[in-house]
Amino acid sequence: MTRNQDRVIAVENIVSVGFDLASFSAIMVLMVTGLGVIASMMGVFNFAHGEFLLLGAYTVYLTHSHGYPVWAGMVVAPFAVALVGLALERGVIRFFYAEPVVAMLGTYAIGLVIRESVRGLIGGLYHSVPDPLIGSFSLGAVQLSRWRCVIILVTAIVIAVFWFVLTRTGLGLTIRASLENPALARASGISTNRVYALTFAVGAGLAGLAGGLMVPIFSMFADLGVRFLIQGFLAVLLGGVGSFEGPALGAAVIGVLSAGLPWVLSPVLADVLVFVIAIVIVKFRPAGLLSTQRS
Amino acid sequence: MPPQRDFAPSTAPLTRRSLLTGAAWAAGAVALGRGSFVVPPAWGQSNPIKVGIATDLTGPIGFAGKANANVASMVASDINAKGGVLGRSLQLFIEDTASNESVAVNNVRKLIQRDRVDVVFGGITSSMRNAIKDVIVTRGKTLYIYPQLYEGQECTPYIFCTGPTPAQQCDEFIPWLIKNGGKRFALPSANYVWPKLLNQYARKVIQANGGEVVFEEYYPLDQVEYSATVNKIMTNNVNVVFNTVIPPGVGPFIKQLYEAGFTKRGGRLSCVYYDENTLNINAAHEFEGLASCLDYFRAIKDPFSAKLQADYDKLYPGTVLFTAGSAATGMYRGLKLWESAVNKAKKVDRDTVAAAFDRARIEEGPGGAAEMVPGKRHCKMNMYIAVAKNGNYEVVSQSKGLVDPKEC
Amino acid sequence: MILVLELVLLAVGLGLPLVLDHFWIVLATRIVLVCLPALSFDLLWGYSGIMSFGQALFYGTAAYSAALLARDLGFTSIFVVVPACTVIGLVLALIMAWFLLLGRYPPSTIFVALGTLTGAYAADRLARGWYYLGGQNGIPSIPPLTAGSFTIAEGPVYYYLALVVLVVVYALCRALVRSQFGLVLAGIRQQEERISFLGYRVQHFKAIVFTLAGGICGLSGALAAFHDGFVWPNMLGVLLSTQIVLYVLFGGVGTLVGAVIGVAGIEYVSFLLADNFQTFWPILLGLLLLFVVLFRPSGLVGLVVTERERFGRFGRAPVRPEAGGSHGAA
Repeated sequence: MTRNQDRVIAVENIVSVGFDLASFSAIMVLMVTGLGVIASMMGVFNFAHGEFLLLGAYTVYLTHSHGYPVWAGMVVAPFAVALVGLALERGVIRFFYAEPVVAMLGTYAIGLVIRESVRGLIGGLYHSVPDPLIGSFSLGAVQLSRWRCVIILVTAIVIAVFWFVLTRTGLGLTIRASLENPALARASGISTNRVYALTFAVGAGLAGLAGGLMVPIFSMFADLGVRFLIQGFLAVLLGGVGSFEGPALGAAVIGVLSAGLPWVLSPVLADVLVFVIAIVIVKFRPAGLLSTQRS
Repeated sequence: MPPQRDFAPSTAPLTRRSLLTGAAWAAGAVALGRGSFVVPPAWGQSNPIKVGIATDLTGPIGFAGKANANVASMVASDINAKGGVLGRSLQLFIEDTASNESVAVNNVRKLIQRDRVDVVFGGITSSMRNAIKDVIVTRGKTLYIYPQLYEGQECTPYIFCTGPTPAQQCDEFIPWLIKNGGKRFALPSANYVWPKLLNQYARKVIQANGGEVVFEEYYPLDQVEYSATVNKIMTNNVNVVFNTVIPPGVGPFIKQLYEAGFTKRGGRLSCVYYDENTLNINAAHEFEGLASCLDYFRAIKDPFSAKLQADYDKLYPGTVLFTAGSAATGMYRGLKLWESAVNKAKKVDRDTVAAAFDRARIEEGPGGAAEMVPGKRHCKMNMYIAVAKNGNYEVVSQSKGLVDPKEC
Repeated sequence: MILVLELVLLAVGLGLPLVLDHFWIVLATRIVLVCLPALSFDLLWGYSGIMSFGQALFYGTAAYSAALLARDLGFTSIFVVVPACTVIGLVLALIMAWFLLLGRYPPSTIFVALGTLTGAYAADRLARGWYYLGGQNGIPSIPPLTAGSFTIAEGPVYYYLALVVLVVVYALCRALVRSQFGLVLAGIRQQEERISFLGYRVQHFKAIVFTLAGGICGLSGALAAFHDGFVWPNMLGVLLSTQIVLYVLFGGVGTLVGAVIGVAGIEYVSFLLADNFQTFWPILLGLLLLFVVLFRPSGLVGLVVTERERFGRFGRAPVRPEAGGSHGAA
């Protein structure tokens, strides 16, 4: 093979790899942003967050099985899950704000209830949902799945919108204040109740969106949320609590590791290594890579 | 060996729940008692022959398990309607192994110790078989009949296998694949015993027929990202993908393979457990041209199979189909062979029946006749090669007579 | 009151095989064996403030070790395997404790919880992937436990063996928590900072308890492996770990006997409901847990045991300004 061919193949590989990493990380980022913001602002490590993902996926599956187009389900999913999140927050979660451990256990219980309910509703089996956009784009010899492109695009737009709201609006300022220093924010007269409710709902909605977007790629099954939950927590601790960018960065790191390691290692080893690497990093940088929290 | 597909819960939305083996961390109860049913005989309640069915009614394998339970019920009522076995009716005890080995062991114990069944049929995945065989055969001293296609090498006495073995699935199939696909094979596999041992055998046959194995890789069962694998397949000019990735990974894998253009450039996808049930996991265009080799396909033309299929569909309309990959055909075969063995042996105790089962033969079954190979505890049967066209299987080749399982 | 409960349970435990037939005795043995990891979790959370979501890691590792010892080296003697696996549990827990608990900065509860969760999850994934360990299928057909030439088969013999082990371990734990060492633990549970200001190396105490808990899980893992006759990845993972947490929370944290009651209670009810309410049971379990967390943090045991007798509890904090616990993860 000539040098040129070698180079072309290498570039193709890089594009392929990069694309896959980006699409997987996108989903992680959507999910983890919600998780991280909830953890930073309210001190609640939401063990039910994976189940918000599941609910998003379930909503899409439900709309599809009733004959509506898949993309309709995906539009509905974030709002449906946000509502569920809001209800949960007002009903149960707000009792946990003072005690992180109680929050863990309580949200775990909620997650269990949600997961088992969904399991009962779908009959305990796996279901597949078709891609709203079938096929792929060709970029030279590299095939880029259309749907994954959409995922990356949607994530980018959502993150951009959030960034805009957080940095350029009054609401954003309020939220950032509550994020960085809740006590001070309360003392400044910000209604933390409303901010918390809004944040929780939005965090849940993001997870719902992530779940809805990814269900054509991954099948729908009751335990879908669990692996994402664990990766999500690691991402939050990795990136650092107390900011908006921290968890996003953590998610990107975990996403890259998770989707990238199988290219260089045996898939089984890669699977385990992601967690080991993440926990080791967290151990040595307990505040996270990007922590801005004033403790 | 676990194929499964969409199950639209049409009759009972809240079906029996499941604990998942593959990627499951469903925190549920260690519930040591699980669903169990008894199918009482229509007559002769006083002295029935007790038949235990241990199968996955829930979980990712739940689909196949339900088909098994359905077939067992159908055959048992059929036998009872014709006078039973040795003048005694059959009483079925069905236990849900829930795709969870720990639960399974407990429920099978119920069959052996509490219900004291005379024979057990069941287990679908090899891990399930391995988990429950000890309870049945060693501790329980009961006959065990395993109905599913698997990796072979199960030579424990008193365990009889009525599903296809690697020899039956590969010996004719791989040469056909080489002729209708190419010489360069890729073996993407789920990481557990069935793919490992099947691949060992397949590799031998591939190489003996002039093919080559470009790579053989194992993935965690719940892996859904196959971009690295697909890339390897495309850049290495693989002609045939001999796939043993199982649900939930197989759906995304086939989709990603299709999107990369594998079939468009002439590649052949093959998967020996893929039956009509699993066809529904992906969209039709994604598995166009997929080839499989099984002991039965719904498209087979022989009259007995067609009638059996029709009877089953009438009794159990819906999405739980009678297919070869779901062990349903092996279950039918096993039950009928057992019936014939008991009729010949005139007794129900384990050793006499085992001796008779060893040489049992049925003239009619799904896909044709079936015959046990004496001393080997495995079953000769017809094998068929089929290719997926427009979302359905088309049979393209049939074995010349019953194929030897070549085990033990 | 706790003593009364303990004695009642002991009497029931001793008498069970006399009234049950074989199938139920085997079930009871499994329940007794699960009580041990539950006990270990109670030690950790109820007495030392360590939220471990990964006890199954030690249980499962020991079970796998037992299976490997039996399969590859032919050791089935109880005198070899059980001590070996207990040591394996101890050593693994020591390593985890070193990583998670010791270090320049004391770790937050969240970090420990997450670290143990990750450990159990990673071990589960590894076991699922490693063919030598049987991968997805686990290791089946483990030969039965032997003591010299006598085979310890499942049934009344194994039941009494498990019961004796449970009683001995329980007695040891009981002695531990009522000793001086136990008082320090109680102090750590209530107000960690104060205890450390008094000069106690809190992290060392925690590490010791963590290691002991791992050893207990190791012991039960070995016994469980031989009892069931097979091991599989679910014995290592998050599922079992969180179940253990559930058992203890339900029974009542910080009383030791609560762990046993929790296991017996949940297992019994789940067995009863299994045939009729299979789909609902886990949902019920989740709701039950939520109820316990919100309203009755002292668990079942709290119905009969006074607050004074309980050595530890958790729950919604009384309304007072809490310095380090109001928000944040680290």
